[in-house]
Amino acid sequence: MKILVIEDERALLESILAYFTGEGNICEYASDFAAANEKISLYSYDCILLDLGLPGGEGLELLTRLKQLKKRDGVLIISARHSLDDKLMGLDLGADDYLVKPFHLSELKARVSAIIRRKNFDGANVIIFNEITVDVSAMKITVRGNQVFLTKKEFDLLVYFLSNRNKVVTKNAMAEHLWGDEMDLSDDFDFIYTHVKNLRKKLLEAGAADYLRSVYGIGYKFGDV
Amino acid sequence: MKLSNRYNKANILTSIVVLIITGFVYYVVIHFILTEKLDRDLAVEENEINQYINTYHKLPLPASYLDQQISYKTLNGVNLEREFLNTVYFNPKERENEPGRSLVTVVHLDGKTIAVTITKSRVESENLIRIILLITLGITVILLISLLLINRFVLNRLWRPFYSILNRMKAFEVTRMDTIEQEPTNIDEFNELNKSVNAMAERVRQDYKELKSFTDNASHEMMTPLAVINSKLDSLLQTESFTEQQGALLEDIYHATGKLSRLHQSLLLLAKIENNLIPDFQHIQLKEMIEAKTRQFQELLEKSKLILRADLAPVEITMSRYLADILLNNLFSNAVRHNVTGGHISVKLDQYGLSISNSGRAHQVQTKIFDRFSKTVDSDGMGLGLAITKQICNLYGFRIDYYEESGEHTFTVYFGS
Repeated sequence: MKILVIEDERALLESILAYFTGEGNICEYASDFAAANEKISLYSYDCILLDLGLPGGEGLELLTRLKQLKKRDGVLIISARHSLDDKLMGLDLGADDYLVKPFHLSELKARVSAIIRRKNFDGANVIIFNEITVDVSAMKITVRGNQVFLTKKEFDLLVYFLSNRNKVVTKNAMAEHLWGDEMDLSDDFDFIYTHVKNLRKKLLEAGAADYLRSVYGIGYKFGDV
Repeated sequence: MKLSNRYNKANILTSIVVLIITGFVYYVVIHFILTEKLDRDLAVEENEINQYINTYHKLPLPASYLDQQISYKTLNGVNLEREFLNTVYFNPKERENEPGRSLVTVVHLDGKTIAVTITKSRVESENLIRIILLITLGITVILLISLLLINRFVLNRLWRPFYSILNRMKAFEVTRMDTIEQEPTNIDEFNELNKSVNAMAERVRQDYKELKSFTDNASHEMMTPLAVINSKLDSLLQTESFTEQQGALLEDIYHATGKLSRLHQSLLLLAKIENNLIPDFQHIQLKEMIEAKTRQFQELLEKSKLILRADLAPVEITMSRYLADILLNNLFSNAVRHNVTGGHISVKLDQYGLSISNSGRAHQVQTKIFDRFSKTVDSDGMGLGLAITKQICNLYGFRIDYYEESGEHTFTVYFGS
């Protein structure tokens, strides 16, 4: 996958690049409007992460530019502005999703993966991980040909893990992903444990390897054993 | 006391005193003048009698004509002074006693001393004085009434711009960013007041705007470092060489940053609601929304073994879906957070309102429950949820109430005002 990160905050940019690089992903970056404009004109990307407040120009203009160039790059807006207007305008101008700062890198990755899946497979929205096959649009999971029946939350959780494979995902990020960040949850995310436990049990019963590991009590990691 | 009342009081009191004194002086002077005239008439009569005696050497007939009487009395060595007196005499024409003015004088005829009493009626002059007094009184009353009317109507009209400005000041709300309009008037004082009020409102608005944009900018600027901290934590976690102890430390930092960013978003949201920056209106089927919300809270309810009782009627309200969601979130979170293990939550929805009550510890009733950052000691929330809830209710003209009865805490949102 080819990803362009347009972000002027150096520290944040580095974190995003570090998190996304690897597993066959190629990441490029631009730190100001001019550089970003040049990159999107010259190359095509599977997904562009776009910060709205850029030195040298307004991020939304880049969206218009993409439209003019008739490019089909996926765009995810990352903005510090939690404004409904910005969000609607961004989505109107052709962005695929909108994420408000601060965010969890795992959430960012999950959203980017979703955009890329939708763009690349044209409806056939499938994730394959070793013996596990997930058809996201049909909400169907098979392990070595056996169908596994999951609840909505377990399914969402699995897709989230698969988008962030080999990464440690915090319980905090998982809770926000499953229940939304508007929900003022208590800091005690133990109730997530039930869902993770059930998901793991069902996958094991269907014959999958044990990919889920708990990490320091903070979160979980789904990945190669 | 109103200014006009106080002014009226002083005005009328002065008028009454001045008019009473004027009336008194008037009465005395006119009385004096009329008495003087009567006395002159009596002196003329006396003169005529003297001339008659000198010419005819006899007394004129004691006559009683018109309002005049003349009588004679022979004096035997008694000396008598010439004098004017007020008397009462019998008027044969009217057959009654009338007040009169008499002149007692002495004439000498054939060596005899005769006292002559000339009496003239005072009735006419008394009548005149009475009429004059009545006219004066009438004018006084008319004057007082017109003064009152002038005060009432003219003053009211004069003060109208003042009250209008006052009302505009009362209705002025800095958060609505409205202006105090100029009230057209040609009275200098009010024009000046108008200008000052407008200038003040403009200053307040300017200050408020600056403060708001400062808060806005500060919030956005704070979001970026928060995002950096968050992303660095996520990156740090991937390096995977932590002990259990370091893991616990990391978790604490996560919680703190999570709380900080939520706090931040809540404050921004509050500011947005207060400034009416969420203008979208939608028709919302509240029943469906609450049912979805109870599903969303399922895990939290199960965790604390809470029993949910719902009595929901289909109700449609008009508000922002986003804010409706936040409103329900806050009320539900509150009911879950301040509950006891094995407790219950009751949700009741009808045309008039939505009430959510939950079991919990018996707290002392907090009057400041809807204030920002007000929370019970054992609460792990931020203390903003109810402030936001209250603001949302204010925005749509809903009323929210809280009461606690033996450990049962109830929040009720009334859709009408």
